[in-house]
Amino acid sequence: MHDWRADIRARLAPARLHPQDEAEMVEEVAQHLEAQYADLVPTVGTARAREQLLAQLRDQELDDAIARRRRLAKPAAARTWTTTTSWHDVRYGLRSLRRSPGTVVAGVVALALGIGLTTVMYSVIYGLLIKGLPFEHADRIAKVLHGDPSQGDDRVRYGSFVRYAAQQRSFEALGAYTLGSANMSGGDRPEHVQIARVTAGVLEATGVRPMVGRTFAPSDNAPTAPATAVLGYAIWRDRYRADSTILGKEIRINGRPFSIIGVMPDQFRFPDNHDVWLPMQTDGSALPPWEGPLVGVVGRLRTDATYERANAEFATLSSRLSVDRPNGTPDWRASVTPYIRAVLPPRVYTVLNAMLAAVMLVLLVACANVANLLLDRTARRTREIGIRTALGASRLAIVRQSLVESTILAAIAAVVGTLIARVGVAWFNATLVDMDHPFWMDIRLHPPVLAFVVALAGLASVVSGLLPAMQSARLDVSSILKDESQNASSFRVGRLSRVIVAAQIAISAALLVATGFLTRSIVNLRTIDTGFATTDVFTAVVNLSTRDTVRQHQFLDGVERELAALPGLAGAYIGNGLPGYGMAHDVAAIEGKTYTREEDYPTARTLAVTPGFFPTFDVTVLRGRGITAQDRAGSAPVAVVNQAFVQRYFAGADPIGRRIRLGGPRSEREWLTIVGIVPTLFAPSFGRDDRWPPQVLTAFRQERSLLSASLALRGPADVTGAAPIRKVVASVDPEVPVHTTMSMDAVLDEQMWGLNVFGTMFIVFGIVALVLSAIGLYAVMAFSVSRRAREMGIRMALGASGRDVIAMVCRQGARQIAIGMTLGLIAGAAIVRAARAALFEVQPNDPGVFALVVGVLAGAAFVACIIPAVRATRVDPLVALRTD
Amino acid sequence: MLTDALKKGSAEFLVLSLLESESRHGYELQKLIESRSDGVLTFNVASLYPLLYKMEERGWIVGRWVEKAGDRRKRYYRLTAAGRTTLEAQRDSWREFVTAINRVSGVRYA
Repeated sequence: MHDWRADIRARLAPARLHPQDEAEMVEEVAQHLEAQYADLVPTVGTARAREQLLAQLRDQELDDAIARRRRLAKPAAARTWTTTTSWHDVRYGLRSLRRSPGTVVAGVVALALGIGLTTVMYSVIYGLLIKGLPFEHADRIAKVLHGDPSQGDDRVRYGSFVRYAAQQRSFEALGAYTLGSANMSGGDRPEHVQIARVTAGVLEATGVRPMVGRTFAPSDNAPTAPATAVLGYAIWRDRYRADSTILGKEIRINGRPFSIIGVMPDQFRFPDNHDVWLPMQTDGSALPPWEGPLVGVVGRLRTDATYERANAEFATLSSRLSVDRPNGTPDWRASVTPYIRAVLPPRVYTVLNAMLAAVMLVLLVACANVANLLLDRTARRTREIGIRTALGASRLAIVRQSLVESTILAAIAAVVGTLIARVGVAWFNATLVDMDHPFWMDIRLHPPVLAFVVALAGLASVVSGLLPAMQSARLDVSSILKDESQNASSFRVGRLSRVIVAAQIAISAALLVATGFLTRSIVNLRTIDTGFATTDVFTAVVNLSTRDTVRQHQFLDGVERELAALPGLAGAYIGNGLPGYGMAHDVAAIEGKTYTREEDYPTARTLAVTPGFFPTFDVTVLRGRGITAQDRAGSAPVAVVNQAFVQRYFAGADPIGRRIRLGGPRSEREWLTIVGIVPTLFAPSFGRDDRWPPQVLTAFRQERSLLSASLALRGPADVTGAAPIRKVVASVDPEVPVHTTMSMDAVLDEQMWGLNVFGTMFIVFGIVALVLSAIGLYAVMAFSVSRRAREMGIRMALGASGRDVIAMVCRQGARQIAIGMTLGLIAGAAIVRAARAALFEVQPNDPGVFALVVGVLAGAAFVACIIPAVRATRVDPLVALRTD
Repeated sequence: MLTDALKKGSAEFLVLSLLESESRHGYELQKLIESRSDGVLTFNVASLYPLLYKMEERGWIVGRWVEKAGDRRKRYYRLTAAGRTTLEAQRDSWREFVTAINRVSGVRYA
């Protein structure tokens, strides 16, 4: 009998149906033709019957059937992924993963690290930037800005505020505030507290109700209204022991009495970490629009208002006001910005987003690793996949299977990654304990953060599963089943793996370059010789309770004398700040020089010090003399300058006896005679590159206007500390609180917190990326060597030495490493150049760092190559030739 | 002899009717159509399978490989719920169509 199957198969072949569909169609049509043939032969004879049926087979109409058959093969979800099939896939995936625990552990660890680190970064971003203020509809709380946005100028003249408040329609509540700190007395001890003077609108805008009593009403803001105060929860709890009868009691702030009208709930510290709120009692009605104190303006937008319309309204209002603006005031437009975005410096957003981008790269490296692991599995399982396909598994089923496996890995990794993130978040919060940070910052694994983890895991499973999935779907069934040695079919898998590894190395190299520079910065920071003593130095700040200069100096005399009398000290210091960040910025003029433009005036960091500065901070005077006890009010005003000042402004000539004046072009301050030279001290400042600037030390006791004083003691830990300072200050004036007590090391650490914390995180990112890509490279090399065991065997049988084989394997790895590393170094150099501001005492083109990165990467890559290479030399030619 | 257009239009209806009571395989359908129409309607491999696959694609019928005792595995088509609805609808419209034709042409059934 005629074999119709061959004819039909030939007819269908050009259409390249899925093997299973093709087989089914061949069978169905063949049965049909056989039956018809059997019916026809008795009437028309074999030859005519065959001819008729073959003619049917040639009919064009059959193409339509083929096309429909193909469409039938991949229809609706019902057929490709029902619950039963996906459950089946999961079970199959679990079973097959259980057989290779190595893959599971390696994949889960890689993804968990990637997911965990990314989650830590995201929880920081979420807790600080996204979650928002802890108030209802907090997204509608906004600030009105009216000034130079590039200067972070976020304040408005009170006279302007009064007009905005009267004319605007966008806000349902709008208020003004000024910030400050003050000494609070009454109760057992004086205390230094953060104070906000507010109009009624500020607290109203938050929508938060007081826990006890009431907040301010507009009548409290009248200049004649009684002095009232609202307390923060922490003060009420700690200072007044949560006294429920507190309303109406009196507190003294800077010596003035205020009557308590309310207590705010826990955690409420709006607008900027405040402990006590006082009513602003400035009469605005008489103020011209461009006068009055500078105030922050904050409010709550109406439900029907949008930022767009509010901005338009305030632009119009401010352009009306700008008609009367004083000469020389630039014509800024007022704008309305969400509160958090308005108060955090844009740098915070940039840094955090850059960190998130960096950590996503680490996750990408982890995904690449898992992709490679799965590709490796695909390659080892080509035969299994071939058989499954031949047995009727569709391409989609194979793709699905691979994705299911990567999803299982990602799901486990999400759980482990969440645990890693918990540790990371706890660490991050621990670094914050003693830091002043925004009151709304709440860094935890909030539900949206967990949702982010789920999204990350999903992303990771697709990214890492898709390439292997597509690869396995592309495998050609018949060639796999025919291919005994599996070499041909694994070729493409191998090439893809190598591309992935090169990409991994590139990403890691880029991250490592950044890591290298940050590590270098942190090491520089930790080991920096600041030029002044920091260990065994303990510091504190006191706010002077009186504005009377004579009484201020009496108080300071007393404190200085009592401190000096403390036993066992190397030195005791009083000044208007601490060295380091605490030095003020000022503009100087040198007597006898003329300056045409304002920017030609010399700039310097200044610090007013007592004679105790030199022993306390162990600063030696290089020439001339330091500040002495004789430099007091009434004696000739003096200054000590540093070497940088001499070099920059006197071109190295001897400045002693020359006179300088601080305060810029229009200064009316006294001329200071330079009496000595000190070494240049470390004095960094935010946003400026020069960390070793020209400096001027003046005599603290010749200062005219004093608000606060910094104290410092140097000596063994048992004689310094907060207690002796408090005791001394209390003995001189019991009303003056001592605050900000911390060691000088802690002062510097706090100022360098950003670089320390984010630098450390970056170092973790870099190391994880390095380890992951080294493992990735190792896996690919090991796999490729095992694939080529037979080839190695033949080579060695033909006389290749072990060294030849090692060299060959390493050469193969070297290309990916070289390509990846080159790309990565270029990218890394660009990143570092862009992030130059974050570096500390290291140039962005420092060859040492690049050399180190190349060395570390090459070392890791060498280890990753050499292990499989050496293993290759141990191949027994006989065994290798026998393997199949 | 029926024109091709008419045949095409009616073919789906015929297949649906034949599958209403039981499931059948392709050749069986071809033979039944031929014998029941006394040879007026004929199908072959090239015309039947595009039709069957089209109907399967539309979800009116489903083909399943079934092994019946004493016979080899064959692909049997059965009606789906959607197919049954379609059959009812087509029956109605055929009835209307035939009535309309009768009215217009005056042809009467005996």
